[in-house]
Amino acid sequence: MAAVINVTAGSQAVLTLGTTATMAKPGGTGGMIIPFVQDVTVNAAPGIVRYSVLDSSSSQAFTTVNENSISGNMLLDEETFFGLATAGGVNTVADAGLFATSTTKTKVFFSVAFEGSDSGDYYVHGQAFIGGLAPTASMDAAVWISPIELIVDGELGSLTV
Amino acid sequence: MSIRSNIMSKLAETVANGGVTSTDYALERNELPWNASGEPLYVKNMRVVYVGDEEEAKVQLYRTLDQGDVFQTDTTVQAFLTEDAKNINALNPTVIENMLNAKSVINTTTGFNVQVAESGYEQVIENDYITYTFEYTFTTI
Repeated sequence: MAAVINVTAGSQAVLTLGTTATMAKPGGTGGMIIPFVQDVTVNAAPGIVRYSVLDSSSSQAFTTVNENSISGNMLLDEETFFGLATAGGVNTVADAGLFATSTTKTKVFFSVAFEGSDSGDYYVHGQAFIGGLAPTASMDAAVWISPIELIVDGELGSLTV
Repeated sequence: MSIRSNIMSKLAETVANGGVTSTDYALERNELPWNASGEPLYVKNMRVVYVGDEEEAKVQLYRTLDQGDVFQTDTTVQAFLTEDAKNINALNPTVIENMLNAKSVINTTTGFNVQVAESGYEQVIENDYITYTFEYTFTTI
């Protein structure tokens, strides 16, 4: 029977970063879980070129390469954004934080858990550069908020834990 | 300390130090502004400031996918002061000003991350007395 994937428990939709695919998978040892994520979007749209032909009143199309990305918004956590106060030496993404990893253009492994980190739970994974950081603060917002985009290098894949 | 307690601590100071205490004005430190024989205590006891209990509401400011939600707390506190309308005390404007400024005691030093701190008052003249009803509103994160 069909059933929606409910994310309200707080442990299903999880974005994890790491320096290896194993580390970055949901529940992976040493993986850096991005906290306080408000929303996350997996963009996996193929590039499309449309063209017209003389013998049809509808346009034709062919696909080009996929342009994949992961985007979202988050409330900023100090150690997540600027790096761990005490570097662990295992996950250099966590040690450096999102900001430094973005500015140094370091490629990271990532996963987006759809159902959590239990055995058999699905997740989307790949490698990406961190971009789109634009921290904003205001008295109305009360906290720092930033969008984030993982610009995927290559193909997205899906696996189960 | 609660927001009400902090405001009361500030109001308990002398007029010169931003409070209301002087030979002519006082702060009721123990009792809430209850009614005695149908009449509020602050009407019976003129020039005594009464501070009501605080009202609170917790509102979800941000929802996050990991349930690390951020809440804001909206707090309202009322204070009351009654004067003889026929004979307003010379210190009245200063006391009123000090009561309005007492909102500033709610800050990070007293343990509150304040997003909004506002105060205001309404006045009602009935018979020969005037009652000032102050309202302090705070939004803390």
